Amino acid sequence: MSGVSAVFEAELLSQEGRAVPATLDGFLASMERRAFRMAEMHLGNREDALDAVQDAMLRLVKHYRDKPAQEWTPLFWGILRRRIVDLQRRRKVRSIVVGWLGGGHDDEGDELPAWEPADTGPDPLEKLHGERSYADMAAAVKQLPRRQREAFMLRVLEGLDVAETAQAMGCSEGSVKTHLSRAMQHLREELEEWR
Amino acid sequence: MNSSDKSLEKRARALYHEAVQHLDPATAGRLRAARRTALQAATGHAATHHRARVLLPVGALAAMALAALMIWQPTPKPPANGATPAMATAAETDNELPPGAENGDPGLYQNLDFYSWLAANQNNGQQRKN
Repeated sequence: MSGVSAVFEAELLSQEGRAVPATLDGFLASMERRAFRMAEMHLGNREDALDAVQDAMLRLVKHYRDKPAQEWTPLFWGILRRRIVDLQRRRKVRSIVVGWLGGGHDDEGDELPAWEPADTGPDPLEKLHGERSYADMAAAVKQLPRRQREAFMLRVLEGLDVAETAQAMGCSEGSVKTHLSRAMQHLREELEEWR
Repeated sequence: MNSSDKSLEKRARALYHEAVQHLDPATAGRLRAARRTALQAATGHAATHHRARVLLPVGALAAMALAALMIWQPTPKPPANGATPAMATAAETDNELPPGAENGDPGLYQNLDFYSWLAANQNNGQQRKN
């Protein structure tokens, strides 16, 4: 399928709601931007987010292309989630190594914050014409514990049902509800001015 | 879930979808390239897998045929006219040509005149006795 028809199929998908494209090209075209935004919100870095999305696409195509199209959505989010966790772990290890080498403290001996790569991507505020709301929400979501953040993003932002969210997160449906409830509680407090 | 939660969810979802739509062209281009790379890699992987799936049984069959050829040895066929093996061996012996000078007993060829004289005298002696 050509790129144009894949994008067209993705547009149709956004209009029709929950339908899943029958081809992998169409499916990935419908997911790539959302996956990037999700990875960016977790990792806070454009390059890492692009790496995570590309890797998730490769793994889905390589290992799960023969699965029924209805299973691709939770599988893809599950793969992306694990890739994001891997990248976060690598950052943590890098911070520890930097700490061992004596680079983790400032001149006065105070501990420096964990290492994070510089984000060279365009500022989200510019893309949203100066609106601060998305940046505020992204900042509040990033402060959530990882499992709460995953539950909120998959269940609320992506609109997966509880079973699909549980499959993507690799946990029970009860755990999804618990994580989501706590995430909502935190976000209510953080985004008080939204009311 | 109360109405404020619903409102928060709705607003968060709307902002998220807006952010997805307003992706900068450079990032969108890189995502498209990543998709193409993933699909091409899968095509190459599938072709390799298919080739291996075809070549593996063919190779195994060829190896088995070679092994069978090396192990198999043809058994001698019995004579078609019903003769016993002993008779067949005698027939073979009768049909054999005398060995050449290189393969035969060298003494026989060195004393050929003596053996000729001996054979002639034996024949004469037998005739005299008779």
